[in-house]
Amino acid sequence: MLLRHWRETLGLASRDYFHEWQISVCFVLALAAVLGPMMVLFGLKFGIVGTMIDELREDPAKREIRPVGSGRYDRAWIDALAKREDVAFVVPRVRAIAATLEVGSARSPRILSLEVIPSAAGDPLLPPGAPAPRGLRQVVLSASAARKLQVSAGDGLEGSLVRRFHGHKERVRLPLTVVGVASARAFGRDALFASVQLNEALEDFRDGRAVPQLGWRGTPPQSRRYTGFRLYARSIYDVAGLEEAFERRGIEVRTQAADIETVRRMDRTLSAIYWAIALIGLVGFSLSLGASLWANVDRKRRELSVLRLVGFRTGDIVWFPLVQSLYTALFGWALAVAIYRAAAWGINLMLAPQLDAAQQVCRLLPQHYLVALGLTAGASVLAAVLAGLRAARVEPSEGLREV
Amino acid sequence: MAGPIYELKEVVKTRAGDGYSFRLRVPSLRISPGEKIALIGESGCGKSTLLDMLAFVLQPSGCERFRFNVEGKEHDIARAWKRRRQNRLAALRRRHLGYVMQTGGLLPYLTVRENMELSRRILGMKDDGTVAALARELGLHRHLEKRPGELSTGERQRVAIGRALAHRPSIVIADEPTASVDPFAAERIMAIFIEMVEARNITVIVASHAWRHIKQLGLRRLAHHTRRSRDGSLAETVVSG
Ligand SMILES: Nc1ncnc2c1ncn2[C@@H]1O[C@H](COP(=O)(O)OP(=O)(O)OP(=O)(O)O)[C@@H](O)[C@H]1O
Ligand SMILES: [Mg+2]
Repeated sequence: MLLRHWRETLGLASRDYFHEWQISVCFVLALAAVLGPMMVLFGLKFGIVGTMIDELREDPAKREIRPVGSGRYDRAWIDALAKREDVAFVVPRVRAIAATLEVGSARSPRILSLEVIPSAAGDPLLPPGAPAPRGLRQVVLSASAARKLQVSAGDGLEGSLVRRFHGHKERVRLPLTVVGVASARAFGRDALFASVQLNEALEDFRDGRAVPQLGWRGTPPQSRRYTGFRLYARSIYDVAGLEEAFERRGIEVRTQAADIETVRRMDRTLSAIYWAIALIGLVGFSLSLGASLWANVDRKRRELSVLRLVGFRTGDIVWFPLVQSLYTALFGWALAVAIYRAAAWGINLMLAPQLDAAQQVCRLLPQHYLVALGLTAGASVLAAVLAGLRAARVEPSEGLREV
Repeated sequence: MAGPIYELKEVVKTRAGDGYSFRLRVPSLRISPGEKIALIGESGCGKSTLLDMLAFVLQPSGCERFRFNVEGKEHDIARAWKRRRQNRLAALRRRHLGYVMQTGGLLPYLTVRENMELSRRILGMKDDGTVAALARELGLHRHLEKRPGELSTGERQRVAIGRALAHRPSIVIADEPTASVDPFAAERIMAIFIEMVEARNITVIVASHAWRHIKQLGLRRLAHHTRRSRDGSLAETVVSG
């Protein structure tokens, strides 16, 4: 029986709502006029800040933490760093002077003096899924170096290096294989990515120590110290924390934490501004809808009292304004979505020439639409509850002899 | 027949305005099932006040006894009001009462048919042709799909009568059902109305200020008289029957 009453109330409230469609359309327009621009604003905030954060995320350089000057780090210390949760990748660096190599290829007459960068599996500068250089023979070239040497993956190279040893100038040659080429975006300069092992061999050779695997002579190897490291945080959000951890240990580092913080602060500021606007908008909308629903109860006093007279219960009557305001919320939301879609389409089209193919300045996720619907429905219900309670207090005899 | 359907004793309703007060007193009133009652009196004598109390929509200011007996069950209206059992009163109205208002009281957003079906629908009664039959009797069958806004005043009054009868109530209360139509139409509508309640053996209570044509329909007139204080600030109507 309760269900039947509820269904009848729902039906009557709907009939009334659509019968008075002019007034209902006004409510819906009033809501869409508030909600539509709010969605566009949020779409812009989300799109712009999102694009900036995506850029930060996609650019591994933003996650890099580099020590300033040279220090003395042992292998165990570096390995301990690698185990940290917030560290995505770390390899030790040898002395900068030692980490160079002259390289030539059969295809090109040029000899390049390349910066040698220690690398390993998981290096964020290398293309994901591509092989990392291993052992003493494999290297990955930066895009510009590969272009100048006119080689690609699979080709051979010849490296050569010189030292003064026992008063003589000594040159050795080192045949290498290119196993990959890093993208130009990831690394702009001429460089050669090599395993830590190869880096160590180059340093040993220059220091006059022996490298038995390559047949290079010299004094017996000693325990090794590294002068630096290449480290990438797991995400941009870990950079600030890692920076702090290093400074606490007295290691000065350079990071992009300030850039990241700027974007994050902007996100927070824009979000705060946005929510302030949204709150004011929704409160304003609730008040105006509430006031109209409240006045509606007066306008419909007679009809409501007829319902009471034919035996609708107090609890049924409460639903009347509630159902109608939910209709307003639903249609208003749908119209606002349409407004947003049109505006977003226009904005993105206008700005398309300045953007990458996948980028959008104005953008919302499906859950944002649902949140908008939820908030609107909530505000409408809130607005309707007072009117509903007032409607329920309409005495059945009251409206019967309306003046 | 069994006992009275309405049983009132010392029921009082006081209405006070600015320097004016009106009192309706019913020392004793019994209405038997199937009776046709007329409440005739000048304007402002308290007809609507009494009808509203009999329709359980107006709370008496005080009463010794207010019983409503229907289908072998006794309902204590005085107690229901005192305990604010609004939903119980609503249930009684829904099931047992039909009310014809002075001016329509139809829902503008429903068609004539839906207006007449309103009470049946909340009671969950199936469509058994009653509404169509009523519409034919009332001469409304051509208007069933119209909205009240497209009807003449007299037609609306007939729709209101149809709605009050459609769910086969035990009592129909009509407060000046023909006041807003011309005298000839009024006479005809009233005649149809009384004929229909008679045919259905429904108790009916009608308020009117025209006794002349009511008399011919064989209604019992409730006795009442109104007293006013000399300065006109106090009026009391006493009804009994
Ligand atoms: N809501 C109210 N508040 C205060 N006084 C009221 C109210 N309704 C009616 N009255 C007063 O009660 C008295 C009886 O009113 P009621 O409506 O019962 O008269 P009536 O006999 O139906 O008159 P009419 O034939 O004009 O419809 C009148 O004097 C009126 O002024
Ligand atoms: Mg009256």
